[in-house]
Amino acid sequence: MTPASRKIALALTVLALVTLPWWSGDLYKLHLAALIGAYWVLIGGLNLVVGYSGQLSIGHVGLLAIGAYCFTILAGPHGVHPALAIAAAGGLCGLCGLLLGLPSLRLPGFYFAMATLAFALIVTEITLAQGDLTGGGIGLAVPSLPAPFDTPQGSYWLILAIAALVTWLTWNIARYTWGRGLIAIRDSVVTAQAVGVPVFRAKLTVFVASGVTAGVAGALFAVLQSYITPDTFIFELGLFFFVCIIIGGRGHILGPLLGTVVLTALPELVAPLAKLGTFFYGLLLLVVVLLVPEGIGRVFEVIVEHFRPRKPESHVVSPDLDRLARAIASSPSDPR
Amino acid sequence: MTFVASNVTKTFGGLTALSKVSLELRPGEVHGLIGPNGSGKTTLLNLLSGYYRPDGGAITLEGLDISESSVQQRASLGVARTFQKPRLLPTLSVLDNAMLGGWRDAKAGFFASAFSLPSVRGDEAGLRHRAEELLHGVGLSRVIGRRANLLEHAEQRFLEIARGLAQRPRFLLLDEPAGGLTPAEIGHLGAILQVVRRTGIGVLLVEHHTDFVFRVSDRVTTLDVGSVIRQGTPEEVRNDPDVIRVYLGA
Repeated sequence: MTPASRKIALALTVLALVTLPWWSGDLYKLHLAALIGAYWVLIGGLNLVVGYSGQLSIGHVGLLAIGAYCFTILAGPHGVHPALAIAAAGGLCGLCGLLLGLPSLRLPGFYFAMATLAFALIVTEITLAQGDLTGGGIGLAVPSLPAPFDTPQGSYWLILAIAALVTWLTWNIARYTWGRGLIAIRDSVVTAQAVGVPVFRAKLTVFVASGVTAGVAGALFAVLQSYITPDTFIFELGLFFFVCIIIGGRGHILGPLLGTVVLTALPELVAPLAKLGTFFYGLLLLVVVLLVPEGIGRVFEVIVEHFRPRKPESHVVSPDLDRLARAIASSPSDPR
Repeated sequence: MTFVASNVTKTFGGLTALSKVSLELRPGEVHGLIGPNGSGKTTLLNLLSGYYRPDGGAITLEGLDISESSVQQRASLGVARTFQKPRLLPTLSVLDNAMLGGWRDAKAGFFASAFSLPSVRGDEAGLRHRAEELLHGVGLSRVIGRRANLLEHAEQRFLEIARGLAQRPRFLLLDEPAGGLTPAEIGHLGAILQVVRRTGIGVLLVEHHTDFVFRVSDRVTTLDVGSVIRQGTPEEVRNDPDVIRVYLGA
């Protein structure tokens, strides 16, 4: 795609999303769109951890729960302004990400996944046990957002704005030096070290960032649910986030976004699929892993590459020595 | 301004891989390191680049003892390397792989990157330009946008060199860069090494192709079973009776 057609596509998408409340038809579909947005706020951040730095966290549902309870408790009984409560949820989950990441990110992949799994299970038990704070198994009613965000349309637009912000932030991380450093950690730690990437610190940084987005997502998710209990945050939800990224494709932003939309919307909109439930996710995961292991993001890349004019293949290496000498002597800050 | 291994010893379990080996890399000099399989060439390279810690002796860079420094710390001090089996990021383009070498130059913090601040965009443009020039320089103009997993073997080797040069190293350690190359490609490699050397970078050339090493090196060290058997000019080493006996075998 040329930059111009890309801009047009982006503008049309934004227009369609902003005007969704007028053409979606019913409130249920609008609610569904808002739910996708809230999920994406979490998955977008998690994508940097799973899709880019290759750390297999399956326990982000625990952070989602902490964010949701933090918002509900602060904005409900304590009367904190909801905007502050959302920020606090993000901050608290960033801190939880730091505390969880510090010991566990040094573990090799499989053990790290187990540590995040254990974290999610522990969070569920704590929400059940701390009944005075969380309402235990009975749960808590979630306070609504202040005007103009107290209507389905208002909350949809708020979530859309936050989701767009998360998309932009993660896209920036992905396309600059950080993105390359993270992918190096995922694909070859030895190479990452050789070029000077501080492996542990980089992993921890994105993990904490994913904690912040998970906390904010938890607050938004709670608002959409309007009532939360420990059962709202079942472990399958954590697996669902993970699967969205794998199906979307590691090392992409758009792929996992599409994965989130498809996996959330399809079972809801296509009645026969809803009956299949988790089976549908399993089947889709199997098909993707077997047929397109690099995810749907890669499928799009391949299609785009297919239609791009091809230069004749040539594998002759022919150094330009004068240019090399100048390039070695230059510094990246030299005027061009 | 030298990069020195002095009397380094490295053992793995009961096996002594290197025993009191000394070697000095100087700026603007290609130092060849040859020896039969298992003589400890790659072990020495791993000690210099920081993947191993020495059990005895020291690694110093400009008089500073860096024996215990991490790989990343050595990278920031100006040590770059390539690998015997090229280690590229398969899903990224050739250009992105070369730009990865500029991690240290792009001083961008996480927040500055996330918000795409002007300083980050400026760094990125500078890095991209320099990486492109290096890729044109080493002869990869035609594949600059291709995914690295689609490269031919020689292209992978030259891309690793470009990535190393993108690190703006003071010393470049090459682990068998001529392995698997055609004679014409080895000729290009030699020409590239001469350019690198003239810009003042010190090069360690670990290699099996002895003819190539004798042709492009200023000095040569020969290892056998973890010990240095001869160090000197290519001429001296080539005619040393011990070297001929254990290695050249003629």
